[in-house]
Amino acid sequence: MTLTGFIAKNALRNKRRLSLSVTSVAVSLFLLVVLQVALRELTNPINDEGSSLRIIVRNKVSLAQPLPARQLQVLERIPGIAAITPFTFYGGLYKGDEKFTSFAQFAVDPARTLPLITDAKVPREQLEAWLADRTSCIVGKMTADRYGLKIGDRMQFTSQLYPADLEFKIVGIYEGTADDRNVFFHHKYLDESLGNPGTVGTWWVRAASIEEAPLVTARINQAFANSSAEVRAESERAFVLGFVSMWGNIQTLIGGISVVVVFALLLVTVSTMSMAIRERFRELAILKAIGFRRRELFAFILAESFGLAMLGGVLGVGGAYLLCNSLDIQKLSNGLFLLFEVTPRMVGFGFSVAALLGVLAAAAPMMTVARTSVVEGLKTLD
Amino acid sequence: MALPVRYSFRNALVRWRSTLATVLGIALVVFVFVLLQSLAAGIEKSSGNTGDPRNILVVRKGATAESASLISRENFRQIQYFEEIARTERGEPIISADVLVLINLPRRNNGGEANVLLRGVTPRGMELRPQVTLVAGRWFTPGKREVVVSAKLARRFANFDLGESFKSGTAQLTVVGWLDGGGSAFDSECWLDADEARAIFERDMYSSFLIRPKDEVAGTNLIARIENDRRFKLKAEKEVEYYRKQTMTAAPIKWLGGFLAVMMSVGAVFAAMNTMYAAVGARTREIGTLRVLGFRRRAVVVALLIEGGFLAFLGGVLGCALAFYWNGYTTATLGFETFSEIVFQFRVTPLLVIEGLVFAVIVGVIGTLLPAVRASRLPVIVALKSV
Amino acid sequence: MIGRFMAAEAEEPIVQIRELFKVYQQGEINVTALNGISLDITRGEFLTLMGPSGSGKSTLLHIIAGVDRPTSGSCHVQGIDVTALNESELADWRNHNVGFVFQTFNLIPVLTAYENVELPLLLTRLSSGERRRQVQTALELVGLADRQHHLPRQLSGGQEQRVAIARALVTDPSLIVADEPTGNLDSHSAQDVLTILQSLSRSAGKTVIMVTHDPKAAAYGSRSVHLEKGELSN
Repeated sequence: MTLTGFIAKNALRNKRRLSLSVTSVAVSLFLLVVLQVALRELTNPINDEGSSLRIIVRNKVSLAQPLPARQLQVLERIPGIAAITPFTFYGGLYKGDEKFTSFAQFAVDPARTLPLITDAKVPREQLEAWLADRTSCIVGKMTADRYGLKIGDRMQFTSQLYPADLEFKIVGIYEGTADDRNVFFHHKYLDESLGNPGTVGTWWVRAASIEEAPLVTARINQAFANSSAEVRAESERAFVLGFVSMWGNIQTLIGGISVVVVFALLLVTVSTMSMAIRERFRELAILKAIGFRRRELFAFILAESFGLAMLGGVLGVGGAYLLCNSLDIQKLSNGLFLLFEVTPRMVGFGFSVAALLGVLAAAAPMMTVARTSVVEGLKTLD
Repeated sequence: MALPVRYSFRNALVRWRSTLATVLGIALVVFVFVLLQSLAAGIEKSSGNTGDPRNILVVRKGATAESASLISRENFRQIQYFEEIARTERGEPIISADVLVLINLPRRNNGGEANVLLRGVTPRGMELRPQVTLVAGRWFTPGKREVVVSAKLARRFANFDLGESFKSGTAQLTVVGWLDGGGSAFDSECWLDADEARAIFERDMYSSFLIRPKDEVAGTNLIARIENDRRFKLKAEKEVEYYRKQTMTAAPIKWLGGFLAVMMSVGAVFAAMNTMYAAVGARTREIGTLRVLGFRRRAVVVALLIEGGFLAFLGGVLGCALAFYWNGYTTATLGFETFSEIVFQFRVTPLLVIEGLVFAVIVGVIGTLLPAVRASRLPVIVALKSV
Repeated sequence: MIGRFMAAEAEEPIVQIRELFKVYQQGEINVTALNGISLDITRGEFLTLMGPSGSGKSTLLHIIAGVDRPTSGSCHVQGIDVTALNESELADWRNHNVGFVFQTFNLIPVLTAYENVELPLLLTRLSSGERRRQVQTALELVGLADRQHHLPRQLSGGQEQRVAIARALVTDPSLIVADEPTGNLDSHSAQDVLTILQSLSRSAGKTVIMVTHDPKAAAYGSRSVHLEKGELSN
């Protein structure tokens, strides 16, 4: 029998406890990874090339304050802008939804929007149909799938923000953008229902190049400084991060709670594993009596504890990985989460915690072993 | 016949060193659960605590919040002379047409920016909201660009101290007073003169009407009259009802609390299980002795369940105590309905404490069940022989 | 006096063992612990079971006390075939008829001497007053009335064993079984314990069955039976 064999035999002897320990490590690490995934998803917006090119221009007062439509003429003269469209969040509740609809609807100028959603794949004839019909809209594939919508269907909305309840005809379904959920429709249609108020929610701008994007942002802010409607232009990413910052204390709180959660589970796990080893005290005493040195006993304890923790890590982190990759999280979370991706960094972090756990759990029994004499250890026989 | 309860209690306590980790683990589970639920309770309580039961609030149909509502001046002219509305001694109808504006302002200490709810309010509207009191400075002067901010928001936003001013839109607004909403949703608002607000933010429309009807019956009639009139696309309901329904922000927190509780309780059950397996293992002979004395299996199982439940209960008490430390602590987040910073307090309600304790005991009992059954299933003779 | 009277009246032996076999399955090997034992024990006897380790003496004791079951054969105690009772019936039966004394005392560490002795009475319908009286009597009988509020770890081994005897006595069982009761005691404490057991059979009319491999201890008994490889050897 080799030493490794001996360690394995030892660990496997009490299968019930082995599985309990491994499972509790696995559950803790699973939760740890899932919390990280969720936190990342909520605080870290999608970052692709398009989103750093795109700029959102809103009223400096707040997002809820509209902008005058006449600003378009000024904006069009700003150098470095490749495309620009009015972009108004309609805030519609899709028929049947009481308080919350999982996708957004935006009023845009369709002809001007196409260069802004270059990554969207839409058949040419659908785009043409959209441009042609004032009451039509295009729908993201995720939303279309979710509600079983197809071209030719009609969608009715009640707006939470505007006194205009609208009905759109679906003429196209797009996919391939970072968020294939939104509905785009004609700004003109919204304007008409509101009696042409001459306002837009925000402007959606595409810079000519990534290098120029910060300059464009600055130019836009400058252009309307000290006007009756000052604006705040920022990259799409900064815009989304602004929302995250609005969460305020809750974000810190959830972060703090995640720490507590993980700490609680680690505490429990460490104690579980220490208990497993402490129960083997008599054996360790016998080994000592036979002539094993303290160092070798430490190695036994550490190897077992480490092995347990790592096995738990594989199950927990692996489980989280599999779950996050196979679940249709968008559907499950009602559109709150989109990607739910386990990054290599999280996997690394999970395993580091597992390793730490293995060492920590071994510490207490090792200390006791070091302090206990052979005679005392053998006494615990009884 | 059962074993004496003190047998269970003393056993739970005598091994406190080995059970400490389990008790702490359960305590933290309960802590997280109660804390998150108290957060949700705080949000619900602050909005449930808002309004005067006599008042009726009118917003646009379809708008989920006052701040997202738009009502025309024409509607105001039509409604203000309805005979259901109470009158002042001078015969003026008691109705306040308010304007709500979201403004984006910087937090203190470079804490990013957040939306603040600015309410353009009429003198009538102030009378209709007696919950709101001035705690520092003075009220704004009509016709001047002055604002009274919530004292609780003042601690969170830059330039909110008395005498300071901030720019929004084309206007420079001076803070002249601090208000207190008495733990209601008004604690998350800043007030200024309604006409000034409409001028500064170029609002032609109103956001909401707050009405005092003549009496209860008139109130019911008024709600029906506004709702049924085809000319209006308006929704009228009691002010308290409106605020009571503003619970969207609390929902995901509740959900998160529940989710974490479930996940963590799996770990806690394992912990309790391990602790109790060890306890049972160490006491195998003792349990054998009890059986020899004539105690039945069920008595042994019950005694061990009480022991495990009691341990977990201790953890629950500790967890509730930890959570209670935060009771009343003021915090804030983005309100989903108003889309602005809402201030509220952690509320550890008695119900939450009970829920937390029950939750703990359930974890303890589930964790003990298998070890207890295993202990009772051991043949007496094996139990006696075991070292 | 009463004891002698009862013993005289009881023609029938209190324990009747017939053709008792006990076979253990140890891995794939069958181990015969008892090989067809027949034995009668009369009321008021102090019987000692002797024999080397593995001779089956403890097994025999356990079957008589109703904590183990034979493979075949019967064991009647006061006319009841204990081998035919189910788990719960056995538990009740043990509570009423048998007092058990262990080599390792087996007191409940978290309960005081008094509470340990009271434990079996919790299974009866006695009022708390009656319970207190009986516990006091039992503790006085073993000479530990002054130690009743001590926890087991605050007592010496001999005292612990005497508490265990009090616990065995407290329900007033007719049968007291003791498995190496002096095995963990010094000779002085052992003497105390044996004297108490002896007086229980002599003056209280209890039937005492004791397993021991110490001939000095066996000398306190009124009859001695030897076992060898699962059979009676004399």
